[in-house]
Amino acid sequence: MIDQDLVRHLSESSVSVELETEEMTLNIGPQHPSTHGVLRLVARVEGERAFDVQPVIGYMHRGYEKLSEVRTYPQVTTLVNRIDWVSGYANEIPFIVAAERILGLEVPERAQYIRLILTEMARISSHLIFMASYPLELGAATPLFFALRERERVLDLLEGVTGGRFHPNFNRIGGVKPAYGSGSSTRKVIQDLPEGFLAETREAMDKVLEAAEEIEALVAGNEIILARTKGVGVLPAEVAASYGVSGPNLRASGVRFDLRKVEDYLPYDRFDFEIPIGENGDCWDRWHVRLLEIRQSVRIVQQAIDGIPSGPLQAKVPKVIKVPQGETYVRAENPKGEMGYYLISNGNQGPYRLKIRSASFSNISILPWILEGVLIPDIIAIMGSLDFVLGDVDR
Amino acid sequence: MTSSPSDTGTTTDPLQQFADGVAASVGGEAVIEFGTVKVRVPASEWVSALTKARDELGLVFFSWLSAVDWASEVEVGDPYPEAVEDRYELLATVADLSEGRRVVFSTDIHKSAPSIASLVEVYAGANWHEREAHEMFGIEFDGHPNLAHLYLPDSFLGHPLRKSFPLLSREVKPWPGTVDVEAMPGGEDEEAPEGPSEENPEA
Repeated sequence: MIDQDLVRHLSESSVSVELETEEMTLNIGPQHPSTHGVLRLVARVEGERAFDVQPVIGYMHRGYEKLSEVRTYPQVTTLVNRIDWVSGYANEIPFIVAAERILGLEVPERAQYIRLILTEMARISSHLIFMASYPLELGAATPLFFALRERERVLDLLEGVTGGRFHPNFNRIGGVKPAYGSGSSTRKVIQDLPEGFLAETREAMDKVLEAAEEIEALVAGNEIILARTKGVGVLPAEVAASYGVSGPNLRASGVRFDLRKVEDYLPYDRFDFEIPIGENGDCWDRWHVRLLEIRQSVRIVQQAIDGIPSGPLQAKVPKVIKVPQGETYVRAENPKGEMGYYLISNGNQGPYRLKIRSASFSNISILPWILEGVLIPDIIAIMGSLDFVLGDVDR
Repeated sequence: MTSSPSDTGTTTDPLQQFADGVAASVGGEAVIEFGTVKVRVPASEWVSALTKARDELGLVFFSWLSAVDWASEVEVGDPYPEAVEDRYELLATVADLSEGRRVVFSTDIHKSAPSIASLVEVYAGANWHEREAHEMFGIEFDGHPNLAHLYLPDSFLGHPLRKSFPLLSREVKPWPGTVDVEAMPGGEDEEAPEGPSEENPEA
């Protein structure tokens, strides 16, 4: 094991004693691969350390809050798919649930189970992307192949149900995709999950567990990765909370809090799963918590497959949906953290105002704090460990 | 509600009790809508209410801050039936990290001088959210360290989330209006789906 204190001491002493360094401004991005989109950082650099790091965002800003004011509820679903595109399915849920709450709709059980299964599959695919990209950013290319292989399997299943790998647009107010046959325009065909979906998903979940073992063996035993991540980018829980850092990043700091346990947007209370947490809140914990979460998501999917009830997929709703006057906030535990929508309806076909609370936005607002005084290579290690997507930052 | 005495003002609903407790301790009014607790406070008490929420009520998690433009000149659909006023409503949501309690704090800012004290000293995360509200609504946050544009280019003029800000693509090609729903496959007589069809069993 490399002695971190010694490394720090050596780097500091060599900088301050042997070399005279000049301050300079370093521009990182906007097209650096570790920025997961287009994020620019401007840092003041003294020797090997960065200070006053200022993220520059907005390159992906698409104005969804404004656009949703001129669109109908079903049209807004297609927009929210594109916020966090790595787990597009999960973005739809809190928005649809917010509209359903104001409408007072009871969603059929089977539809809720399908939503839950697909949400957890979206979480698995999002975390597998992280399992692929994070070691890659640290210089280890091999885990990528294991992670992406299984992610493809999960995405194929998602695509089989929804028709989309990234932008499923599968939820409707009152349930999931309406029960119309895709081919014929005269026959009413009740569409359900594709034949064999549940069995294939069960199989895929076993493969995901195997891949998680393989990835853990590859990464957790790698001394270089351990040295790059342990004790790097430590985020105390209080700081995380005051910045609104949520999800796995918060749990890595030792907070056992998961919205799936406290909110009732989907019937998670019927399933048995744990909330993994980290000890130190460093990059390593953030990686490890996500690995453990993959296993918990697999557990949830397996239980949901066992218990999925039969029945309709859609509550009875009018053809033109007008949501009555009212406002509510619905938040959900998305792969990246707390995703919520504050929906204000004035009785029309579209929202009067839709505030989108996305996880990555708050998660990277921590960057100026967490990158203060770190070594330049650690910037990449820390940014990667926060697992953000710029579409989720800029909205 | 069978056991609770209805007219004494006491309630056994834990969410209502929680909401009343928050309102009492920060000096505001609580409303519960669809499971969301909203506490309205005067603008002058904005920072002190949020400080109490953090320190005394354990609402340490800063979720988000944004605003609503309650304008009468709404282009899409009908105007809001009430509350057509000359105000922005500022909303800030904070939560705890144990029970899952969350409160939306709300205050009114008059449009003639949209300005309020900044929350950055209370919740560090308010920094970016206030920058966003500043560029999108033109609200000034006194005491904010850096009210620069967050998303928009520096040279951008206007505040896009105000209702008075036109969405140019809609000016060029107007929204279809009240009827914007294409007929579903099957024609006009088709109703919303509700389980297997009985009138077409041969389907």
